[in-house]
Amino acid sequence: MTALALRRALQSVVVLLGVSVVVFALVHLVDGDPVRLALGTRFDQETYEALRERAGLDQPLVVQYLQWISSAVTGDLGVSFRSGEPVTALILERLPATLSLAGASILVALLIAVPLGTASALRPRSVVDAAGTVLSQIGISVPEFWMGIMLILLFAGTLGWFPAGGYVPLSEDPLQWARSLVLPAVTTGLVSGSVLTRFTRSSVLEALGAEHVRTARAKGLGARAVLNWHVLRNALLPLVTVTGVQLAYLLSGVVVVEIVFAWPGLGQLALQAVQARDYPVLQGAVLLFAFVFLLVNLVVDLLYSKLDPRISA
Amino acid sequence: MRRRTVLSSLAATPIVAAGCSTGDGVDTGDTGQGGGEGGGEFVAAISAQPDQFDPHKTTAYASFQVLENVYDTLVVPGAEDQVMQPSLATDWTTSEDGLTWTFTLRDDVTFHDGSTFDADDVVFSYDRIIDQQLSNAYRFATVTDVRAQDPRTVVITVSEPTPALLAQIGGFKGMAILPSGVDEASLTTQAVGTGPFRLESTSASEVSLSRFDDYWGEASTLDGMTFRFLTEPAAAMTALTSGQVQWTDNVPTQDVSDLAEDDQVELGQVASVDYWYLAMNHAKAPFDNRDVRRAIATAVDRSAVTEAARFDAARPNQTAIPEDSYWHHDYAPFSTDVDEAKRLLEGAGVTTPITMGLMVTSEYPETVTAAQVLASQLEPLGVQVEIQTEDFATWLDRQGRGDFDAFMLGWLGNIDPFDYYDGQHRTGGSNNFHGYSSPVTDDLLNRAAVATDREERKDLYDQAAEQIVDDVSYLYLYNPDVVQAWTPGLTGYTIRPDKAVNFEEVELPS
Repeated sequence: MTALALRRALQSVVVLLGVSVVVFALVHLVDGDPVRLALGTRFDQETYEALRERAGLDQPLVVQYLQWISSAVTGDLGVSFRSGEPVTALILERLPATLSLAGASILVALLIAVPLGTASALRPRSVVDAAGTVLSQIGISVPEFWMGIMLILLFAGTLGWFPAGGYVPLSEDPLQWARSLVLPAVTTGLVSGSVLTRFTRSSVLEALGAEHVRTARAKGLGARAVLNWHVLRNALLPLVTVTGVQLAYLLSGVVVVEIVFAWPGLGQLALQAVQARDYPVLQGAVLLFAFVFLLVNLVVDLLYSKLDPRISA
Repeated sequence: MRRRTVLSSLAATPIVAAGCSTGDGVDTGDTGQGGGEGGGEFVAAISAQPDQFDPHKTTAYASFQVLENVYDTLVVPGAEDQVMQPSLATDWTTSEDGLTWTFTLRDDVTFHDGSTFDADDVVFSYDRIIDQQLSNAYRFATVTDVRAQDPRTVVITVSEPTPALLAQIGGFKGMAILPSGVDEASLTTQAVGTGPFRLESTSASEVSLSRFDDYWGEASTLDGMTFRFLTEPAAAMTALTSGQVQWTDNVPTQDVSDLAEDDQVELGQVASVDYWYLAMNHAKAPFDNRDVRRAIATAVDRSAVTEAARFDAARPNQTAIPEDSYWHHDYAPFSTDVDEAKRLLEGAGVTTPITMGLMVTSEYPETVTAAQVLASQLEPLGVQVEIQTEDFATWLDRQGRGDFDAFMLGWLGNIDPFDYYDGQHRTGGSNNFHGYSSPVTDDLLNRAAVATDREERKDLYDQAAEQIVDDVSYLYLYNPDVVQAWTPGLTGYTIRPDKAVNFEEVELPS
């Protein structure tokens, strides 16, 4: 178990280094000049040169990369072109909002997916199954921005139960934090939940058809015991993987939902960085997203070995 | 090894202001309004997050919405007529030759850090912009020296008469006065101003201000105020109608006529000082041909473009300066006529169809909408418009390289005619990206820039405007309205053509 963790962690570091090169190259190769953007249309050559030099953008790319990566390994991701603040501070400032939303969304998603997917699988082609299929299709197809706006109009506007947008830190006011979290979490949770419902249904179905389940039934175990001990545990494996992917996706920011609900998460930070060609923030954010993906995958793999002892070999 | 570098984003254009004619001395007026003991917290929803709070470095409108309430400049544009009024300077004079400006400063001003304001702070602030070549350095193009004659007097020397100087130093809070010796690195997140509110705290979702009790003007009756960033218009309007915020500028333009009837909100609408235009590349055939440009200008129906892009919230205009301004010139030589346009095109010896790439940007969605209407209007003329939608970074790159047939954009926050016309249309002007060059226009613009008599200056700019319109240097389209909404019963707020949002005198409904 420890050896597996160590091996995977080492692999992750190599992958991260590779990602850093690709990210740096992509960010710098894409069209658009941060200094020109900073000046807007009111352009002046002298000011332009001065700003470029101050940002270090007049250096060769290789030099810029080496400077960046050597600071990055010490935890210093540089300073935002746009705001003048350290990139790590900008990311840390937004991390609580992103963690809250991702966590709450996955909770909503699982609360929908596990019961609905299991019920659908237990009675294939029944009314429950049909309803589950239709609902999850709707959840996948409805655009998040539309769903978000509808929820705002109904629950913030007409009913006035929740705020129309904005984020309240947990440390400031737990009750308001929870209230501000409900609508965005339901919006993203519905989408993730729809995806997970389909997966739960198919993996439960598959597990139901497995031979050991038939054996368990044959030896006279009750339906509930079969479901809990022999079906769900096996169905959990693929579900954990997909949930992990969904969580990693949510952690790297859900731009559309963040904008609709004025949620100060990492997605908005990355989007603003793209628009302003704020290289340090963009590089830092993408590196973090890569790190999160690797970390979630690592955790999923380790969970796997817990769920299925054969894998730890 | 870490470089503290600040660029800033967005910024279509900063803001400039016009002034009274040189030689006038202006007495300070009492601008304060008697306030009750209302108190309370005021929340405004703005549509974007400020990038940073260093007034000399940011170019983002969202930052200036906050900074307007935190910092002061020597002079400020009047709320309605945009004529420069006293602020930190109580009055000013210019020498006979127009080369020396002398400003007298207020003697009762305290910075938010408790230090006292004097002439050294003005010199420090202006030198910072000039010496560090910050993005507003161009505003001091003619300034050769800024000097403190005594603690209450600042003397600015210019190389040629600069009637637009007041507009340049007072048009917006990008020319704010900082205390000399301030910790410059801290200014991105903190503010040391002289304005009615102090910057209390900032986060990724809101900015909080508190009342500054030692403000030199009438202290606000509010305890403080918050700017909340609500990007989605539906969310902003819901927040307003449900009482979570009391003011917003994030009003969907398509809802303006409905909102005017809605008694849950008070809608403010006023013609802005902005203008939107189409520019063709004068270095590229066939758009280098004046008759081709005139043919296109004749085929365009500005009202239809305006209607599509801005609904009820804009006015078509064939020149740059809106009707309400002193500098407006009533000149509209084009009337939409496709047959006449075809004749012009034939006369120019151009065989149709021709293709015109029209570069627009998703950063300003109204350009994308307008482009679709323009494309359909030019089709009967035999001009195939190929709409190229770019993100703003790429757009600016291409504009800078001259890599376009035509583009549409706006100039925002203009106050002095110098800002409406000079850099855009003078040969080699810093904003003349489309390559217009006319000796007649150059001569008029150069004379207007140094004309110290207001009437004479207006006359020269009127002539220049006619030449610019006739040559279709820019094909002017419309002036948009400023549209904002607030909670009924809110008092003390004035909606302004320059889009500065000043909450100094606001009182919440009781």
